[in-house]
Amino acid sequence: MVSLLKLAQVTEEGVRFLSPHDGTPMLLTPEHSISLQNSIGSDIIMQLDDVIATTSPDHARIKEAMHRSIRWLDRCISAHQNPSSQNLFCIIQGGLDLELRRECCEEMVTRDTPGIAIGGLSGGEAKAEYCKVVDTCTGLLPDFKPRYVMGVGYPEDIIVSIALGADMFDCVWPTRTARFGNAITNGGTLNLKSAAYAYDFGPVEEDCRCVCCRPPAEGGLGITRAYIHHTSAKETVGAHLLSMHNVHYLLDLVRRAREAIIERRYPAFVRAYFARLYGNEKGRYPPWAVDALRGVGVDLLAED
Amino acid sequence: MAVGNSSALGELPDEMFQIIKAAGSALTPRLGRIAILGRKVMETPHFLAGTSRGAVPHITQDTFARDTSIGAVYVALEDFIERAPSHVPPIYQFHPSDRSSPLRRFVALPDHTLLVLGARRTPPVAAPVANPNTHDAIAVCTAVGFKTLTADDFAEAARHLQADIVVGMADVPHGRSLGSKRIEKATDRTIQWMTEQVGTRKEDATKDAAQAKLFAPLLPVSCRNQQYYIDSLTDELVHDVAGLAIYDLSSMEDLPEALHHLPRLDLTEPKNPHEVLQRIAVGMDILTVPFVTVATDAGIALAFTFTAPTALPGTNDDHPIDALPLGTDMWLPKHAVDLSALVEGCQCYACSNHHRAYLQHLLVAKEMLGWVLLQIHNHHMVDLFFRDIRESIAGGRFDEITKHFSRVYESNMPETTGQGPRVRGYQFRSEGRGEGKKNKAPFTRLDDTKDQAVEHALPDTHASVGKSDARSHTEKPE
Repeated sequence: MVSLLKLAQVTEEGVRFLSPHDGTPMLLTPEHSISLQNSIGSDIIMQLDDVIATTSPDHARIKEAMHRSIRWLDRCISAHQNPSSQNLFCIIQGGLDLELRRECCEEMVTRDTPGIAIGGLSGGEAKAEYCKVVDTCTGLLPDFKPRYVMGVGYPEDIIVSIALGADMFDCVWPTRTARFGNAITNGGTLNLKSAAYAYDFGPVEEDCRCVCCRPPAEGGLGITRAYIHHTSAKETVGAHLLSMHNVHYLLDLVRRAREAIIERRYPAFVRAYFARLYGNEKGRYPPWAVDALRGVGVDLLAED
Repeated sequence: MAVGNSSALGELPDEMFQIIKAAGSALTPRLGRIAILGRKVMETPHFLAGTSRGAVPHITQDTFARDTSIGAVYVALEDFIERAPSHVPPIYQFHPSDRSSPLRRFVALPDHTLLVLGARRTPPVAAPVANPNTHDAIAVCTAVGFKTLTADDFAEAARHLQADIVVGMADVPHGRSLGSKRIEKATDRTIQWMTEQVGTRKEDATKDAAQAKLFAPLLPVSCRNQQYYIDSLTDELVHDVAGLAIYDLSSMEDLPEALHHLPRLDLTEPKNPHEVLQRIAVGMDILTVPFVTVATDAGIALAFTFTAPTALPGTNDDHPIDALPLGTDMWLPKHAVDLSALVEGCQCYACSNHHRAYLQHLLVAKEMLGWVLLQIHNHHMVDLFFRDIRESIAGGRFDEITKHFSRVYESNMPETTGQGPRVRGYQFRSEGRGEGKKNKAPFTRLDDTKDQAVEHALPDTHASVGKSDARSHTEKPE
């Protein structure tokens, strides 16, 4: 419950909030959360956790939230009806305090859930802090379980987090930003609502293979940047078209990352990715990425 | 029924429109066929799907091709020219490399779909009194407010955009009735605009390979009341006009026989299927049906079929006791656990893959997919409706089935209970200051956190470093 935290109230019992549909008060407990997910029947289900914005100055509250998340994990495990068909993931908490994160990792790993999520990040903390937390957690987690970093979706963050040992990600950003007219490309994010694109009759990204960008001769729609500009934030179709492109971009990005890992050239892949994103200007590379990658033996500034 | 007035066909510039079956000269339901090179042949009566900014609302172009059977669309020029005249509208500078229609390529419309271009949307947003039509221009509603569109610019746009059918520009003051002086003025203007457009088209005819078919708009009064214009249509313009666009049914009452061979495009905004039948009964061929998207936005799944159920409990000839609804309001909580299709037996994508419970959930959660599925379903229902109408005309049973249809179904669309998609500026006319918000905020705060609300900004769901839309997220959640 991080995204709408301001609208909710957390107690040991669970989370209280107003229904966005009819405004009635609702209580979500760990047991109820699991029971809902059991009836939905998804392959992976998540524990209910107590999340405090990583930027919160209230250290005592962050510590309480971490311990509460462990207690809630136990309640979730005992409430879980389908452990043989649905995989319950725990969610590591502890803010930016690496000691708290370590303690949480140790406690949660002993619960032996099928997968492990690193939560509470992506809430406005500095990227260097974010990387330290991911690196610390992945260092303590067993090799044979999937590690899921929650709420991460910027391409650079995904690329770096993969290097730090993360396996899975989720984020609303690619689709949400599409609704605002932002296109994700290898050269960075373009705001197609800008007047500069009104007369740009090229595809959202050259050589992109998504349905939106591919020319009609190759079975695509041949949508231009100008048409996205024309419909963006005005017609739901504009949001849908750009969502298709952005989601395709990220799926293709992690596909390329997997290929690079299998072919044992991930460091070179990361270097090529950053070079393209920053137009070969190493001076513009974000220090947090350079440092985090150096920490796991990838030299972003090296020449290939 | 006699086969249509075939001698009239010889007068046509070409045989784009063929009347297959009509009852003599009277204004009665008729079957026809519109054949334009490169497009799928359209059997009439048929409908045009309305578009907004080049797309059928909620239907992306890939979904359009894959999951709908829409054969023809109506596109309004006013959706593309907000930067005119200070900036050349982008679409005027778009020249696809294969020399195909810039409009078709820009909006990614499939090659075989019939493309009809008009100056204004249907239904148009009525212009404020301060923005009247003038002797050489009409008021149009763009995304940045009302602007003027001159007849010259319209003719030039029509030439460049290469639609299949262009509805000529008429001096129709939408939303206002016409006094006799105003009719006179409108008649003069429309004659002049049409004559000029025909003139420039003749000059271009040698240059352009394919020219759009020009439909002449009739003013929203009886033909008698626009006699000079009708005269010029039957005399000077008869060889240059390939169809008629009708803005009011009164024009149909005394339509002269000399114009009967032309296909009739209905822009009279029927509000429900009964009004569609009323229009087909007087011989409309191609109809715009704005109520379909209105229903979709309202969360209503259309549920009528022309060949309606015959045996209805509690119905007799005069008093429909239990008239069937024309649609189902999918917002209603009763659908929340209903796993049946929107309409039992419906073969559309939405009904074959999803159920009422999912649709209700999508609407309540304000997921855009809800409208996508409804729009697919609603267009499918209307497509079948027109197919059944054509079959009934062919079988000589149109009147009989229409009577039955009007008995069996309620006369109006169901009341709207839910909210539609966000309303956009070009979809309504602002009435001035003090208007309430058109779109409600989806989330409210817990009372006891209200006081602390200003302490921290809403935590973004994503990390911080210098990305563009964190601010717009809090300002404009969608």
